[in-house]
Amino acid sequence: MRQLGTWTGRIGVGFVRSCVVAVVTMPAPAVWAVAVAWAIWWGAGNPWSWLGPFVLVCVGTLGLSRPVCRLVRSLVARWTGTFIPAGYLEAGPVVRMSTGYWWNGFSYERSRRDAVLDQKWRVRWKDPAVWRDVRFTAIVPFAAGVVAAVPPAGVVAAVLGLGQPGLTARLAGVLGLVVAIATAPYAWRLLVPVAVRFLRPSRAMAMTERVEELTAQRADATVAQAAEIRRIERDLHDGAQARLVALGLALATAEKLMETNPDQAKALMREARGGAAASLAELRELVKGISPPVLNERGLVDAVRALALDVPLDVAVSADAGLRLDPAIEAAVYFGVAELLTNAVKHAQPSRARISLAQDDADLIVEVEDDGRGGANVRADGGLAGLRRRLAVFDGTLEISSPPGGPTRVRMALPCDSL
Amino acid sequence: MRLVVAEDLYLLREGMVRLIQAYGHQVVATAATGPETLEALRRWRPDVSVIDVRMPPNQSDEGLRAALAARAEMPGLPVLILSQHVEQLYARELLADGSGGVGYLLKDSVFDADQFIGALERVADGGTAMDPAVIAKLLSSSSPSRGLEQLTEREHAVLALMAEGLSNQAIGRRLFLSDSAISKYTTSMFGKLGIVDDEDTNRRVRAVLAYLNKP
Repeated sequence: MRQLGTWTGRIGVGFVRSCVVAVVTMPAPAVWAVAVAWAIWWGAGNPWSWLGPFVLVCVGTLGLSRPVCRLVRSLVARWTGTFIPAGYLEAGPVVRMSTGYWWNGFSYERSRRDAVLDQKWRVRWKDPAVWRDVRFTAIVPFAAGVVAAVPPAGVVAAVLGLGQPGLTARLAGVLGLVVAIATAPYAWRLLVPVAVRFLRPSRAMAMTERVEELTAQRADATVAQAAEIRRIERDLHDGAQARLVALGLALATAEKLMETNPDQAKALMREARGGAAASLAELRELVKGISPPVLNERGLVDAVRALALDVPLDVAVSADAGLRLDPAIEAAVYFGVAELLTNAVKHAQPSRARISLAQDDADLIVEVEDDGRGGANVRADGGLAGLRRRLAVFDGTLEISSPPGGPTRVRMALPCDSL
Repeated sequence: MRLVVAEDLYLLREGMVRLIQAYGHQVVATAATGPETLEALRRWRPDVSVIDVRMPPNQSDEGLRAALAARAEMPGLPVLILSQHVEQLYARELLADGSGGVGYLLKDSVFDADQFIGALERVADGGTAMDPAVIAKLLSSSSPSRGLEQLTEREHAVLALMAEGLSNQAIGRRLFLSDSAISKYTTSMFGKLGIVDDEDTNRRVRAVLAYLNKP
């Protein structure tokens, strides 16, 4: 009974989807049909009769391509979860020059409106994604639309056939109904491979996008590195260096006072010793922030274990044996886990946490989970966004699930061969 | 005492040797790499050795590994591990065999020469010398179900010093309390924690550490 229910459900859903696909893919052929009819109506005798219909076909297909493709993309994403990136060229900024004219990256215009309009058409004309959309709009009616039209056509045949008295007509009607029911769950599915094949960005487009992404990342990394070096310099300058100067001073004074005032000399020596200990402690903290010694000595898994021992939480660490990683990735993951644990302790008040490190064929998967109160989200200037940027340098990703009330689950994935 | 000093940085190694000799102890061998350290420990079986964690050839935790390997071969061989940083993880590994004669201190501890030599002597006697920072972390990270929160502030302080490896007299001197007061605190503390009280300092410390080190 339940199985019958799911079958009916699948047939119903499949039928609706097939109808939608048929409707979405048919506007372009409809325009072409109008153009053909127009050409026939003007007659073959007139040598210019093809011109109007030809313009109609061009303009119609071009105009329809973007909405049709956008619809197909959203339908595929909604039905199958397959996300197909559009990859349109982004228009650059339109700026006003000192002369009062507007520069849009291509030409100077008198007004901002003209500049934007000019830029829009130039970008469209240059954009390979637009021509890909046109190609798709022309292909999809034959590649997916015809098949998707089978179930609705079957239903139409059934309605027409069963409404008529003749036996042949009724048989045809029954046949139509059977075909409609049998094909409904599958007919719309052809859209997915066709869309994936013809709608995704071409190699050149993907490459362009990748170059832009890498340029942005390189800029990010350079800025971050410069800031980090400045921080280290400042810490050393205000901390250890100043303390060593004070140490030297205290020792010089003690040397001077040794004969005349041994008690004060002794006190100075003690002070110097305290200063040395304090500067060591400072340097230790600094080193820990640059490159944690335990990470160098033991590798990622033990370093994460050491980290887990140091937070005031019950943390369980599980890891694949023999995890072999590049030191740069290890450091990124270590600091990522450290930040996530700190966040958890600071904001979520959990009582326990779980960290797992696992390596599959391609990726290192690190999961950090706590039983705190949840509600964490990624803000543009927040720590999680920064962490995501740092992982992106290694083509790594970060996903977070943190419903209010918890638990918070963070999953970091890094391709192991990204270096 | 006969000692082995294992440290890869020449300046530190020589400074340490000089300090130890100034207190009238004998350094029988020095080592600058992990394998050399293990070799020296096997050959000399020193009363106690001072070992740096990070040493060549790999600049990872060679010293610690050599110490652990030597103690696996010669149970209870006294070692004092010195490092620029202290990790609970390493402390737990050192304490795992429960046989005493273990020290784990920051390199800064040589600044107080008297205390440093005292720690060396304690370890040589089969006692322990743990860095206060490690003990503090061990105490704070043990799960609350252990009953640590039942301890008074004073008892907590006594427990921490005891875990570092100090005797009742030494704890009394640090806290400015009499021996009898300390033994009163320890009795009540052991009662609350369910550790069998014992006159022997080393066994007592080991009991405390085993207690803290429970997973």
